[in-house]
Amino acid sequence: MDNDQQSKESTDRSDLVSEDGKNSKSVVCQRCGSKVLCPGMAVLVEKELFLPSMRKKSGPSTTEGSVDGDTLTTHWFVQDMFDFDNVGFTKDVGKIKYLICADCEIGPIGWHCLDDLTSYYVAVERVNHA
Amino acid sequence: MDPRYDIPTRRAAGVGGGSANSSPALGSQSRRRKMPPRPADFKLQIIIIGSRGVGKTSIMERFTDDTFCEACKSTVGVDFKIKTVELRGKKIRLQIWDTAGQERFNSITSAYYRSAKGIVLVYDITKQETFDDLPKWMKMIDKYASEEAELLLVGNKLDCETDRIISRQQGERFSSRISGMRFCEASAKDNFNVDEIFLKLVDDILSKMPLEVPNKELSNSVLSLQPEPEVPPELPPPRMRCC
Repeated sequence: MDNDQQSKESTDRSDLVSEDGKNSKSVVCQRCGSKVLCPGMAVLVEKELFLPSMRKKSGPSTTEGSVDGDTLTTHWFVQDMFDFDNVGFTKDVGKIKYLICADCEIGPIGWHCLDDLTSYYVAVERVNHA
Repeated sequence: MDPRYDIPTRRAAGVGGGSANSSPALGSQSRRRKMPPRPADFKLQIIIIGSRGVGKTSIMERFTDDTFCEACKSTVGVDFKIKTVELRGKKIRLQIWDTAGQERFNSITSAYYRSAKGIVLVYDITKQETFDDLPKWMKMIDKYASEEAELLLVGNKLDCETDRIISRQQGERFSSRISGMRFCEASAKDNFNVDEIFLKLVDDILSKMPLEVPNKELSNSVLSLQPEPEVPPELPPPRMRCC
C-alpha cells in the first residue's frame, strides 16, 4: 500500500462514516469499480488483520513460505455474507477465506475466518468509496 | 461447496414444507439488523456442475466482468461468489458455487445439490465424453437436488466452433427430454451468453416463487412491506431455448 493513499485514507475516513457508524458511501473495487457493499451496510471496526499483497511479485522474489502482505487495521465489517452486493471468497487458506472482487477477482480485499461465520471484514485501504 | 455456507432455512419459506435439510449453523434470522438500505429480496444458491475441463470456472468468473486477476486466484482459487442482480424489480443475491476440482460424480456432497435453487450443467461442445457424461450428472441431480431446482444445460466453448463435435440439436434433444430443463450454448471465453445464463436461470427461479409475502426474515425490510409488483407472465414455455 503506498503512503499517499494511506495518509489520504486516514484523513478522509470520517467522511466515509455516517452518524450511525455505517459506511456512508458505496464500497467498490479499486480496479474495476464493482460494488462490494451498498451504503449503510457495514460498520467501521478496528482489528489487526494480515492480508497478502494485492500485487503479485514479478519474478522469483519472495522466499518460499513467506507471504508478502500488509497488516491492516481498519475494516468494514458485516455479519452476513449476504450483506455484500458482490464479493468472491477464496478457497480455505488454513481457517481463512480471503475476500476478493467478485468481478475482476483482484484481492485479497478482505478477510473471513471459518471460526466465526458472522464476521466478514473488508479492508478500508483496499477498496474505494464512491 | 461447504455446508457451512448453506443458506439457512429461509429457502423453505419459498416452497413451503419441511426444511430439515439446511444448515443449523447460522441462525441468521436473529442476526439481520434493521437498517435503511434495501436488503435483498431473495437469496438463491446456484451451482455449476459438469465434467472436468468444460469451463465451469470460466462461467462463474465471466458472469459480469472480464478481467482476470493474478495474485489471489492463481494461488488459492475462488470458492464461491456472492452476486447481486436486479430482475422484475427484485434485488436478488446469488451465491454461486463452482464445483471445479470435484468432478468425480460422487465427490460432490449432496449438500451441494440439496440447497441449490438453480443448477447449471455444463458440457464442452468439442468433447464427446463431456456430453456422454450428462446422464450421470442427471442421476446425481435426480438423487440429491430439490425437485424445484431450475436446470439449465449449457454447451460451452462456442468459440471453438470449428472443433465442434456435439451439434446444437443434440444438446436441445437432451434437454427437451428433461422436464423444465433449458438449453443454451455459450462461450465463456468471449463472454457470449454467459450473463444471460444466470439471468435466465434466476428469472425461471423467480417465476416459481410465491408472489405473496417473502419469508419472515425479510419482512422487516422497507421494501417487502410494499405490495409486490405484478410479475408479467413473459416466460416462454420451459422447453424453449434461451438463446
